Amino acid sequence: MSVTRRFGSVVANDSIDFRAQRGTVHAIVGGNGAGKSTLMRILQGMDRPDEGVVLVDGFPTVFFGPADAFDRGIGMVHQEFMLVPGLSLLENLVLAHEPMLGLDRIDRTRALDAAHALEAQAGVTLDWDLAVEDAPVHVRQILEILRLLYRGADVLILDEPTAVLAPAQVRELIVLLRKLRDEGRTILFISHKLDEVLAVADDITVLRGGKVVGSLPAAQADKAKLAEMMIGEILARPQARPGAVGRPVLNLVSVTASDSRGRAGLSGFDLTVHAGEIVGIAGVAGNGQDELVAAVTGLSRTDCGSIRLGDVDVTRLSLRERRALGLAFLSPDRAGEGLCLQATIAENTISGHHRRDEFSAGGTLKRGVIARHVEALLDRYAVKRGSSTLPAASLSGGNQQRVAVARELYGNPNILVACQPTRGVDIRGIAFIHQCLLDYRDRGGAVLLVSEELDELVTLSDRIIVIYDGRVTGEVRRGSAEIDEIGRMMLGQAAA
Amino acid sequence: MIDNIIHAAIVMTTPVLLAALGGLVNRVGGLVNIGLDSMMLAGALIGLMLASQTGSWPSALAGAALVGGLLGLLMSLCVTRLQADEIIVGLGFNIAVAGLVRFFLKSAYGSSGTLSLPDVARLPKIDIPGIADVPLLGAIVSGHDPLTWAAWILVPVTAWFLKETRAGLRLRAAGAAPQAARALGLSPLNIRDASTVFAGAMSGLAGAFLSIGVVGIFNEGITAGRGFIALAAFYFGRNRPWLTAACALLFGFFDAFQIRLQGRGVPAELVQTLPYAMVIVVLTAMALSARRRKLRGA
Repeated sequence: MSVTRRFGSVVANDSIDFRAQRGTVHAIVGGNGAGKSTLMRILQGMDRPDEGVVLVDGFPTVFFGPADAFDRGIGMVHQEFMLVPGLSLLENLVLAHEPMLGLDRIDRTRALDAAHALEAQAGVTLDWDLAVEDAPVHVRQILEILRLLYRGADVLILDEPTAVLAPAQVRELIVLLRKLRDEGRTILFISHKLDEVLAVADDITVLRGGKVVGSLPAAQADKAKLAEMMIGEILARPQARPGAVGRPVLNLVSVTASDSRGRAGLSGFDLTVHAGEIVGIAGVAGNGQDELVAAVTGLSRTDCGSIRLGDVDVTRLSLRERRALGLAFLSPDRAGEGLCLQATIAENTISGHHRRDEFSAGGTLKRGVIARHVEALLDRYAVKRGSSTLPAASLSGGNQQRVAVARELYGNPNILVACQPTRGVDIRGIAFIHQCLLDYRDRGGAVLLVSEELDELVTLSDRIIVIYDGRVTGEVRRGSAEIDEIGRMMLGQAAA
Repeated sequence: MIDNIIHAAIVMTTPVLLAALGGLVNRVGGLVNIGLDSMMLAGALIGLMLASQTGSWPSALAGAALVGGLLGLLMSLCVTRLQADEIIVGLGFNIAVAGLVRFFLKSAYGSSGTLSLPDVARLPKIDIPGIADVPLLGAIVSGHDPLTWAAWILVPVTAWFLKETRAGLRLRAAGAAPQAARALGLSPLNIRDASTVFAGAMSGLAGAFLSIGVVGIFNEGITAGRGFIALAAFYFGRNRPWLTAACALLFGFFDAFQIRLQGRGVPAELVQTLPYAMVIVVLTAMALSARRRKLRGA
């Protein structure tokens, strides 16, 4: 008997086809935006394919929501756990499937018996009276897995299950998953950490850009091969650029910062960016890029270490104070952070500079001066616009980004932190923005470029720093042969 | 004298306690009910009318609970199905019901604000022989009406319900993590609706207690903001039934005290603010001391 799930022509996922055999651990790997989440949402019934079907045990199946998928034996452990705070571990275990006594009472004895049976099956021990919010994160994860078993799931989907775990806990999880597999359950293991995938999986399917790049048995896979499948070939070759770099403009010394979940996002991070160079940051999303950008811009506080802009220690300064020292920041979140889409194009172009004496006097904006400045600037950046008094939302994504670039590069900042500068921008816009960054660099500007587009990094950067798990794992110079190593370093392997 | 105050304190606690227990269950289920006062007011009016027409206090209470529950359902549907803001809907209900009641009194009875009906069946008093004459104890347990008894019995019952029953567990889950509850196949919106209906019914009973238990007439200001005091009670009771009851009792005590103070030279309007002001003072003091304890402990 085999469980087969086939996806023909899912549009959000482009014709994804794969099958998982009953009693195996099937890993699904892929970088950010590879389509893993959409695929899992479909399997959970939270999303439906436009085309194609899911086959369960050979039967075409449509899921009407997570509860329905569950009734068919498919359960998922989410990255954000689906546990109820305020309830004990035991209450969470039995919720919605409570063993009952009369008078609508929950039969605690039978609930505990079931809990102990699951403990024995999984080889773990839990304090069942503990409130969920007091339980450590790996206990919560085990609880989620046990709850799926309690409710009789025979297909378990785990979405990035090791993201929240320490190495020893990862090993425990792998032991548990193997045990469940040996009992005949099917496990879909979603991850981009290749060591773990190779350790736990029987079969591996690699996704990239919404498509299946390949499926292969784990026995035939190794890290280099998977990394190549995940990252793809690096087409653009960098041009060597003669030219001297200037003095350091940005300097980070052993900076440590926590991410939003309180885990170490950056640990002991050192980085120097000089005038006249573009330094690219390469890494799989979630390996410290966000924390690095937040630390440099001052959007969040660092735990320790020091950050200098030029000669000034800015570790405790706000973003506004850092901007006054010549920092410019191109946000990755254009709609939320980079621009105010409801405000006019002109207001977006001037904001941040509006306190300068040339644009305001005594707290009043000089409207005429601003209007002339905005028109000249937008013309220089070839922003296609109806009128500058229309809201920024009236612009296409690429033109919005041009407005943001125009604004950030105005006034010759000392350093530009450019984060996903061409995300959602068309090809022509990409070329234009790339040229803006290169021109700025040639004028002596410094750029810290954070991008998920490897091609972009390779095209623009004079140096590429590779980060993994909040640390620098390697550095590649423009024109060096090691460029092929970037993909491997991004996955946590040291350069050969 | 002291016996009188204690007896009156328990009487004045009952409406607040009833509404607060309803609001507590509602809040555990995920909806902070600002509209308790409106359901109380409707219950008070319907209770009085039915008590006069049928001459039976149980049917008056049943009608009051029904009307309160219906208002609760209506309010809940606005919040859960139409995604309206619970604060705005709650305020809207308070204003709308007050206006409708005034309109109804004017058009049906031609009276402005006050309604006095003949043959109102009042809530009976249960005198416990033997204990009634014991000082203090007699005032505490004897001479109270069935609704007061029900309110206090409901305190441990609510605690038991939340802790031990399946419905209680699901209610807590629906309130604390609706997403998770839905992923497990529960319907948090239905659960929330049910809890609001319960809160409405309890507030309706509280209103009927005021009209046919305490005074025997209806006045458009009869609730005197007790629905909001109930809100304060379950907020400060942090969803714990006994603590909530203690807060309700605190208000009841000052309400009784205030009645005693009237006619002793202090302007009545000022004295009537005493229970509300004291609730704020005591709860603030409690919160401050709790914070100080926490700081010392840390």
